[in-house]
Amino acid sequence: MAIPTRFATPSMAAPPSGAEKDRTVQQTDMDALVSRCSAVQTGYLTDPYAEMFLDISTPRDRRYPLINRGTYIRTTALDQIVESFLSRPFQGKKQIISLGAGSDTRFFRLAADKSLRLLYHEFDFPQVTSRKIAAIQRHKELATIISEYGQADSPEDSTGLPGFQVDARAGSLRSPCYYIHPIDLRTLKPGVPLPTGIDASLPTLFISECCLIYLSPNDADDIFRWITSSFGQASESSPNGAGIVLYEPIGGDDSFGKVMIRNLSQRGIVLRTLQRYSTLERQKERMRALGFNSGMGACDVNFIHDEWIDAEEKERIDKLELLDEREEWVLLAKHYCIAWGWVERHPASASASAGSLSFQNWSRFPIQRT
Amino acid sequence: MSDLDSAVEQLRQCRPIPESQVREICFKAREILIEEANVQIVDAPVTICGDIHGQFHDLMELFRVGGDCPDTNYLFMGDFVDRGFYSLESFLLLLCLKVRYPDRITLIRGNHESRQITTVYGFYDECIRKYGSANVWRYCCDVFDYLALGALVIGAGSSVQPTRLADGEDAETKVREAEDEVEIEVIGLGGVVTRQMSRRDAGMINSTNLTPSALPHLSSSGPAGALLTGVPGTGASGNSRGIGNANTPTNTGGAVLCVHGGLSPLIDSVDKIRLLDRKQEVPHDGAMCDLLWSDPEEIDGWGLSPRGAGFLFGADIVKQFNHLNNLTLIARAHQLVMEGFKEMFDSSIVTVWSAPNYCYRCGNVAAILELGEDNSNAVLRSGGEEVLFNRENTRRLASTYMGGSMKRGGPGRRYRVFEAAAQDSRGMPSKKPMPYYFL
Repeated sequence: MAIPTRFATPSMAAPPSGAEKDRTVQQTDMDALVSRCSAVQTGYLTDPYAEMFLDISTPRDRRYPLINRGTYIRTTALDQIVESFLSRPFQGKKQIISLGAGSDTRFFRLAADKSLRLLYHEFDFPQVTSRKIAAIQRHKELATIISEYGQADSPEDSTGLPGFQVDARAGSLRSPCYYIHPIDLRTLKPGVPLPTGIDASLPTLFISECCLIYLSPNDADDIFRWITSSFGQASESSPNGAGIVLYEPIGGDDSFGKVMIRNLSQRGIVLRTLQRYSTLERQKERMRALGFNSGMGACDVNFIHDEWIDAEEKERIDKLELLDEREEWVLLAKHYCIAWGWVERHPASASASAGSLSFQNWSRFPIQRT
Repeated sequence: MSDLDSAVEQLRQCRPIPESQVREICFKAREILIEEANVQIVDAPVTICGDIHGQFHDLMELFRVGGDCPDTNYLFMGDFVDRGFYSLESFLLLLCLKVRYPDRITLIRGNHESRQITTVYGFYDECIRKYGSANVWRYCCDVFDYLALGALVIGAGSSVQPTRLADGEDAETKVREAEDEVEIEVIGLGGVVTRQMSRRDAGMINSTNLTPSALPHLSSSGPAGALLTGVPGTGASGNSRGIGNANTPTNTGGAVLCVHGGLSPLIDSVDKIRLLDRKQEVPHDGAMCDLLWSDPEEIDGWGLSPRGAGFLFGADIVKQFNHLNNLTLIARAHQLVMEGFKEMFDSSIVTVWSAPNYCYRCGNVAAILELGEDNSNAVLRSGGEEVLFNRENTRRLASTYMGGSMKRGGPGRRYRVFEAAAQDSRGMPSKKPMPYYFL
């Protein structure tokens, strides 16, 4: 989908155009990918796919230990949330929709488990999805994963490889289980129809990793409303529900936060919803107010590091690198959060039990008191 | 102008000097450092500084606030390199000053003055980037191996001469003039006195009421010029209202141990530090490693450090060490402190942090600690006893006054708090530092 004209400025004037601003936001994906590759290379994460999405021209910088650690915590926390959604108690088919997915490798990592019944969608700017699809076409390993995972779910399609269709010009990819949609998130508002392939009857998890924070507060809120008006409605026949998990900066009011805002704005990056959702309390209230009202939670990354990672694993990562940045780590980690919320209703039918709910285990994560 | 002076001039402008000159300066520096003890003895007055981390423009700001070398006697507690974008210029400038004025600047080793750490945290890459080879990095690392592990400041006065307040100004705790000596003075941003505490004031300095937002004169420039001109430390106890009066709690202002990180379970005396063989890469464990890596913490005894090297140590450890070694204070660096400095454990130890807006990201202020000199030949009277106070008998004096009693008796201390240099000041190179965030 093209950049909406309302974001474009006709002149060559000094302030960056909408397209330039969008490009800056898109480049944050490369930044995150390089950090991810650094964390993989240093042994924090296992992810053989990350580096396949790296352009040859992109320098493979090794990040500082505290950035590696932050990348590790962010990924691990989201993995735990996703794992909890996928595993228990409801064992049926589920759907994940990743907003601003960029070069994220989560689908490929999950698809290693072929018994998992999953429909996976990614939304991003066409410039970003095209780059991702090119990487998939370049690396046979990635293409094979998509094909084979598709076959597992729909054996009748097994005759024709590659098992997925690509529209390179539009930047879209579709297979029975994996879709890449070229979508400008700012177009998603209540009443907008669901993109192709999305099944609103499945329990659905939305993921935003440092994505919605770049939208205007109104655009970001509209996406929440679009989700809660289209998903999560209970029906007689099937259990469903919708949940969302966010990873984003918080706390712009103190001196660290002010410097963060100033530094990022010098790169043209504006954290547009930061002010409105600057605390864990406000993040939870956001969930409640915008329809994810069955349950919600929010923790800062420092808390997650201390409370969500088990002792053995912590010992492992402590040994990977000397972390001579303790105070700085705490400071930085307290300025990022994971927030989640869900809406699901017990099906009206008597035969259904609490065991049919998908998000119930989310209430078991250690919660930070605020 | 000598080669050395021109090198200093060039480095002051944040311009690297040729490789051959680096080699020569490192060689000369090594000849000086090799003669120094593991624990260098330094006479007060002295200005003690914490981590610099390659933040060259902030080092210039430090010199502006604290006075130039050699006018001011400096002691830097390590971590000159890594993290910032100008480790090379910062370290070489300090090293040139060391060669030029060996008795006016003391450099001790931080945990980043190490081959292993500099390859992770930036100094190695910076040398490669600026010279195209690792030679300069190697010369510098060879110097690191000869840096002292600590310093002992002796002859510090028991009070600082209060900075005169300008008309209409009022420090948070104003000393009752002529009644009391000033033990602690804090000069906040813009050179404004924000706090004066006399030795009689109960309680200790509390960093929480010193946060930048709590500093009453944060944004005002104040009469900075007038206040900054006072030569630090001079005549700190010259005003002898308190001294000579038997009713005033007299204090020797005894020795202050300066070390980058902290204490070690393997070291129970300053003399044991003197016995170490320091001329090597920082080991992964052992006494030398601990001195450069450990941190004070609110615990009893010793604890494991989350840094993966060194230990955590509690108030009991510090108080016992100070008592056994006749120290009145341990000054150390190593940990970011948002307010620039932090006294702990009844003022038995202080962290001094001198890298403002650390990594161009943390939003903290920085500080330096000035210890004034005592009148070296002044006769102290206490209960009729006369003691000559000078370098030779510091130890005896300290034990006379400190013996057995654990009362707080730190030297007079003036903290000068400062902010990061403006980014576009002093013709800073156009490349803007860009710290990482999670995006």
